[in-house]
Amino acid sequence: MKVLAPINAYDEMEMLAESGAEEFYCGIVPREWLDRYTGAVWLNRRSPKGGSLETLSELKQLVDGAHQLKIPVFLTLNAPYYTAEQMTWVMELARRLDGEAGVDALIVTDINLLMQLSQAKLNAELHVSSVAATLNTEAIRFLLQFGPSRIILPRSLTIPEIGRIVAATRDEVEIEVFMLNDGCAFEEGFCSTTHHHSVGAFCTNLSDMDTEFERSGDRELTRRQNSRLRRNLTDYREWIWYVNGNGCGSTANGLPYGPCGLCAIHDFERIGVASLKIVGREASPFKKLASVRMVRAIVDQVRSGAEKLVTIERAKSLRGEREHCESGYMCYYKVEA
Amino acid sequence: MDWSIQVSGAADIRSDLAALNATSFDCGSKLAPVVELTCRLIDEYFGPVHLSRCVYGNEFCEHLIPSPAHLKDVLSVAAEREMDVTLLTPYVSDAGIDLLKPLFELLSLNGANEVVFNDWGVLNLLRREFPLLTPVQGRLMNKSLRDPRVTGVYAESDAPAPALVSLRRSNLDCASYTGFLSNLGVDSVELDNLPQGVDLSFAENGVKANAYIPFGFISTSRICMAAGIHYDKIDKFQPGAPCHHECQTHLLEYAYTNTPFSNRDQKFYLKGNSYFYVHTEAMLRGLFEQSRSGLIDRIVFQPRLPMNWERQ
Repeated sequence: MKVLAPINAYDEMEMLAESGAEEFYCGIVPREWLDRYTGAVWLNRRSPKGGSLETLSELKQLVDGAHQLKIPVFLTLNAPYYTAEQMTWVMELARRLDGEAGVDALIVTDINLLMQLSQAKLNAELHVSSVAATLNTEAIRFLLQFGPSRIILPRSLTIPEIGRIVAATRDEVEIEVFMLNDGCAFEEGFCSTTHHHSVGAFCTNLSDMDTEFERSGDRELTRRQNSRLRRNLTDYREWIWYVNGNGCGSTANGLPYGPCGLCAIHDFERIGVASLKIVGREASPFKKLASVRMVRAIVDQVRSGAEKLVTIERAKSLRGEREHCESGYMCYYKVEA
Repeated sequence: MDWSIQVSGAADIRSDLAALNATSFDCGSKLAPVVELTCRLIDEYFGPVHLSRCVYGNEFCEHLIPSPAHLKDVLSVAAEREMDVTLLTPYVSDAGIDLLKPLFELLSLNGANEVVFNDWGVLNLLRREFPLLTPVQGRLMNKSLRDPRVTGVYAESDAPAPALVSLRRSNLDCASYTGFLSNLGVDSVELDNLPQGVDLSFAENGVKANAYIPFGFISTSRICMAAGIHYDKIDKFQPGAPCHHECQTHLLEYAYTNTPFSNRDQKFYLKGNSYFYVHTEAMLRGLFEQSRSGLIDRIVFQPRLPMNWERQ
């Protein structure tokens, strides 16, 4: 079970590797793409501003450096879809990412791109992005025709559901799961909204809108019913705040808040999950560093044979402020202790 | 072009559907204006339409998958009314796949029916075990941006042509993809009418396009706000959590009061785990004009938000 870290600059590599990162993933958005499609159309699932590298030479430097440390680098080409014009351009980019930069895997959402990359027989392996919303074993069976070496499961699967999937596909494909940082209120692969800076994420945007409930069947809501629905909406908005990284916050020591799966690492080791993904290519180097250290601390404990309850206790104590853990709203996964 | 209507159960089919009388649909006072507008525009553009098919099931939540008994009723009444049936299916976990199998068995016994898939796993199951059923790609598999906060603005602004072209298309734009679908036996795809407009040029390659009116989906989740009502606070908002179908009791309307653009107070609707936008008159007229060019094979009329579910 590897620790997968986000990276978007060569300068971040050494500190992340020394802190325990065992795999890297990043994105690239060449200037040519931005000039043609503007910020309205994203090449991958992060804003072109700040979340990705810009040039192939930067990427090659990063990949070469990581390979010297024996760390593989995966690259995101995971927009939900590409049009015919874009597909020609993206396939050419993929060949250069493979041949010139030497990335180890391409992370893909669009099944049409997955199919074409599979036919192109590149050296780079293929990982299916969480944005492909692979929620069941049958879907993995379908995707295996394209030869992916790894499937990244969406955040919205429970530990028992992940366990069932891994058990059924163990010998055929690796499974990666989310471990730390950004949440998503929706099923990412079925969310048709943008995070463009002009409007922000739809889920958080909704929390500031005026709302009105309507009862089904042309009847008026009673005051009690309305009050109950309002209370639930308030709870939901509090949950959204946690999904959004506790309002993008951190502890006094700089450890990141936000969706977290640390307590589930013991279960994931038992289940046979291959990789634990830390989210946040666009995050500051310090947040990446802190995130890798947090995940690695628990992974090392699990690797050393610690009991599940011990690892959970350690996970909850890392940030030093347990009330957020106790809220139940900061967890990717509900863990049965 | 065919006309289809989304039904909540056999009772809907028994009622006087063909009249497309907006007052007969219990869509609630918030949604009634758009349903009435849609009925009026259908009449203006097409006159009385013949509903040859009914659409049943759910695209968004595995807890709203109908029971085999209810599907059997729908098949029976639809046959009496000489209507074809399309079963809608959602994205699913392994447990959801298990729920769908008996429905597919029932449909297979009933002859060649359509099944709309919104999950590659469902398509895989259909192809392997139910070859008599006709798979149709669902609208959730179409990944065009549908963010009504901005896409209408993009369409009205001076967005660069390549960006706007891209936003009106999807991977259906690629012959490699439509060829792939065809090889899988998928000849029809379902679409939302997009606020920024839909480029239907892919239909010139023989792919049949089914468009939904007057509601389009924005986003959906395995984590349901409505289901949280009956949980203790600490246990709320868990993925796929069992529910009592609380979504059937109410609707939540959002007003876009915090927009940076000119679409202040634009409305969005949450029903259960899914958000929807409503079509404007301009969007409906635009789609109906497109249908005259022959690029739309079927229009699916939704008299309510597509989240209704019949109790056992």
